[in-house]
Amino acid sequence: MQTKENAMTDTPSAVEKPTDPAIESGLERLTPERIRQVIQQVLKKETGPRFKAYVETCMRCGLCADACSYFLSNDRDPQFMPAAKVKNTVWQMLKKDGNVSRDFLRRAVRISHLECNACKRCAMYCPFGIDIAYMMLLVRRICHKLEITPQYIQDTVNSHSVTLNQMWVKDDEWIDTLQWQEEDARDEFEDLQIPLDKVGADIMYSVIAPEPKFQAGLIYQAATMMHAAGMDWTMPSSPGWDNSNMAMYTGDNEISGRIARKFFETAAKLRVKRIVMGECGHAFRSVYDMGNRWNSWVMPPFEVVHALAFYHELLTQGRITIKEKYKKKVTLHDPCNVSRGRGLHDKAREVVNLVCKDFVEMTPNREHNYCCGAGGGVINCGPPYKGERMVNNRVKAEQLAATGAEVLIAPCHNCHSGLEDIIQHYDLKMEIKFLGDLIYETMEKKIYEPEA
Amino acid sequence: MNGKTSWDWETELKEVPFDEWKTRFNWVQAPQVSQNGENIAAVVNLDDMAFSVCVNGKIWEGEYEKIWSLTPVSDSGFAAFVARDEEWTLSVNGQEWTHWCDFIWQMMKSQDGRVLGAAFQSDSEYGVIVNDTPWEDRYENLTGAVMTANGTSAAVVQVASMPGADVEAFRKGVFSVACNGIPEDRRFLNIWDISFDSAGRQIGYGVRTDRETYGIVQNDTLWENRFESVWKPEFLDENSLLAPVRINGKWQLYKNDAPFWKRRYDQLWHLTLSPDGKDVAAIVSTPYGRWSVAVNDTVWDVTWDTMISDIHFSKDGSSLAAVYKHKDVWDLAVNQTSWEMAADMVFVPCMSPDGRVVAVVIQKQGQYQLVVNKKTVASGFSFMADPVISSDGSKVLLKGIENGIYKRRIIRV
Repeated sequence: MQTKENAMTDTPSAVEKPTDPAIESGLERLTPERIRQVIQQVLKKETGPRFKAYVETCMRCGLCADACSYFLSNDRDPQFMPAAKVKNTVWQMLKKDGNVSRDFLRRAVRISHLECNACKRCAMYCPFGIDIAYMMLLVRRICHKLEITPQYIQDTVNSHSVTLNQMWVKDDEWIDTLQWQEEDARDEFEDLQIPLDKVGADIMYSVIAPEPKFQAGLIYQAATMMHAAGMDWTMPSSPGWDNSNMAMYTGDNEISGRIARKFFETAAKLRVKRIVMGECGHAFRSVYDMGNRWNSWVMPPFEVVHALAFYHELLTQGRITIKEKYKKKVTLHDPCNVSRGRGLHDKAREVVNLVCKDFVEMTPNREHNYCCGAGGGVINCGPPYKGERMVNNRVKAEQLAATGAEVLIAPCHNCHSGLEDIIQHYDLKMEIKFLGDLIYETMEKKIYEPEA
Repeated sequence: MNGKTSWDWETELKEVPFDEWKTRFNWVQAPQVSQNGENIAAVVNLDDMAFSVCVNGKIWEGEYEKIWSLTPVSDSGFAAFVARDEEWTLSVNGQEWTHWCDFIWQMMKSQDGRVLGAAFQSDSEYGVIVNDTPWEDRYENLTGAVMTANGTSAAVVQVASMPGADVEAFRKGVFSVACNGIPEDRRFLNIWDISFDSAGRQIGYGVRTDRETYGIVQNDTLWENRFESVWKPEFLDENSLLAPVRINGKWQLYKNDAPFWKRRYDQLWHLTLSPDGKDVAAIVSTPYGRWSVAVNDTVWDVTWDTMISDIHFSKDGSSLAAVYKHKDVWDLAVNQTSWEMAADMVFVPCMSPDGRVVAVVIQKQGQYQLVVNKKTVASGFSFMADPVISSDGSKVLLKGIENGIYKRRIIRV
C-alpha cells in the first residue's frame, strides 16, 4: 500500500501490475501466424531507411539512459534504459522475423505504452539522434494491428473514430457547452459572444475534448481573452473542433489521419486565416508533425498557433494588459511537444515574466526538461496504471519539490493532469495552473482599443 | 449556384443601412444574406437573455433566450434554431415549428429549400426532424446526418448500448445507418460519409469492419474488396458508386468494387462530378506533398505546395475551378490557369452555366473584394457573401456591406 510518507521511495515492485482486459482478450485471439504476419508487414512494408539506420547505428553507448525519467525514477534499473526498451521489443521482433510469443507481446505492450512517453528526450541526448520514440510508436502500431492496445486509450481512439473527439462528447453537448460558457462569460462582458461557424473569421479557436467534458471554464477564459483582445474569431459547431489525436499514440495512423483531415478541412470550410489552439502539447504535435503528414500535408495547411505563442502575441502587442502581476512564487513545466518539439520555451518564459512577479526555474528546464510522465498517451491508458505511473514519475516529483514554488504552471492538458497526480501522490505543497488561468486572473477586463 | 430569372436583375442598387442596427440593439451578430440578396439578417440582442432576428431592419415577432445557426433558406428567407424555456425548435422566417426538443443542430435543406431538417435530442435520445416531423425511432447517439436533394434524410445511429470503455462491444459493431429514421440491419465499427444518388434512392457510405479494415457499402452490399482506408463515395449514376480507397499506402479511385482510375496517388479526395456526369474530378496529391486536380485520371500540369480546399464544376462541365493555397497565400485556378490574386482568403467561386464567367469573393488586408474573370469589380467592403451569376451569365449579383450599408448590386459582365 502506498502512502504519502513512503511515496518518494516507492519502487516498481511495490506497485501491482494490473491485468488489462483489452490486452488479454486481444492476446487470446492471436495465432503465431497472425503475429508474424503483422510484425513483418509493419517492419518491412511500413518502415524505410530511417528505421534501418536507427537499428544499425545504435552502439549501445547508454547515453540515452540518463535522459529517461523512467530509468532515473526506477533507481537506474537497466530495463528502463531507452536502448533496452528497443532491444526488448523491436530488435527481438526483427531478429526473430516476427516469431514472438504472446508473453513477449504482453511485455512489448507495457514497454511501448506504459514505460515510454515518446517525449524524445533520449533522442536529444543520443550522439546519433536515434529517435527511440519513433521505434516505440512502431511497436504501438504493431499492437494496434494485433488489437492488444490497452483498454482505456483504445476507448479514446474509438471515440475519435465515431465522434472525432476523444471523449465521446456528442454533437449537442459540444454546442450546448459553448453556449453555456458564453452565457456565463457575459458576467465579464455583457456583449461577449462565442461566434459559431463564422465564415471568414481570422481565427478558428480549437480545444481538446476534456474542456467541454469537464474543464469548461477554460473555454470561458479563452472567450474572455478573445473578446477583450478584440479578436475576430470563431469556433466550429460541428466535429473538427477537437484538435487532440490519441490515435497518433496508438499507431492507428488511419484514424489519426482522418482526425487531422477533419480538423484542417473544418478550418478551410470556415475560411479562417489561422488556427489557435488551447494549452495542449500532444494535439499540437499531431497537427504540425504527425497527423498532417499521413494526409500528404508536409506542413500544416493552416498556421497553427499554440496558446503559449498566442498569449505572447496578445501581451506583447498590448491587446491584453495585466492589471497586477500574480504574486505567488511560480515555476514552469516545459511540455515536451511545445518546448523540445517546437521551441516555444523562451516565449513561455516571456509570458510568465509578464504575468507573474516571482518566477523560479526548475532544473533541468526548457528543452532539457523531464517529461510529466503522463504524455505520449501514458495517462490515457487509464486508472489501472496510475500507481506505476506515480513510481515512474519520482524524478519529476523531486524536480518539482526542489523549486520551492507555490504554483506550478503546466501549459498542456496531459502534463496538467499528470502533474496534478504527482502533486497529490507525493504530497507536494503546490497548486497547479494553466497559463491561461493566470492571465485570466490578472488581466484587465477591458476591451482593447487600438491607437488611432 | 446560379440565380433564378424571377429575381430582380434590373435594379442596379438596393441598400439597407446595416450599421444603424448597432444603435438600435445591444449587439448584433454576424450577418447572413438571403440567396437572392434582397434581405440581410442578423441575430440581435434586445435585453438580458432576449434575442430576435432582424431582417432588413424588422425583427421577428418572437423573442428567444437563445438563437443560433441563422441560415438563408428558399430565395429570400431565413431559418434559425431558437430556444425558449430551455427548449429548442426551428423557426422559419419567424414561424416556429410546433415540435420542441432539448437541443437541435445541423440544419439541412433539400435542393429547392422546401424541406428543412435538423438533428435533435430529447430526453437523451437522438433523431432527425424533417419539416417539423421527427423520426419515429430514436437512438442513443447520432452523427453525420445528411439530407438529399429531394429531402430524404439519413444519419449514422448507435443501435446498441455500449458501456463506458467497453472496447469488446465496440469491436462487434454498434453503429448502423438510419434512412428516414429506419435503421439498416448491418452494423459496423464505424460508418462515415453517407452519400446518395441524385434521385435520393441509392445509398453508399464508408465503413470500418474491423480495427484495420475498411470497406464501402453500396445499398445492401458491402463491397468484397477491403482497404486500408476509404474516403467519401459519390454516385456517378444510379448504378455506379465511386470511392477513393487506400491500398498499400496509395489512393486509387474505385467504381463498383473495381479499379476505375489506373493511377495511384499520395492523396485523393473531394470527388466532384460534372452535372452531366461525364467528368469526374478529385483533389489529388502527387508527388507527396504537392497538390493538384485530377480530371478523369489526368492530372493538371500545375501543382501547389499547401492545400486545395475545394473544386467546382460549371453546370455544363466545361470549367473547373480550384481554390488553393500556395506559398502562404490563397488563390483560384480555373481550368489550370491561376488568377494570381495572392489573397489572404478566397471564398467559394460561382460560375455561369457555360463556365465563361467566374466570380469569387476574396479577402485582402481585412477587406473584401469581388473578382470577376480575374478583374476586381468591387473592393473596400467589410463583408461580402458569395456572389451569384444570372442564368444567362450576363450579370453578377454582389451582396456586401460597404461603409456600414448593405448593398445588393447588379454588375453587368
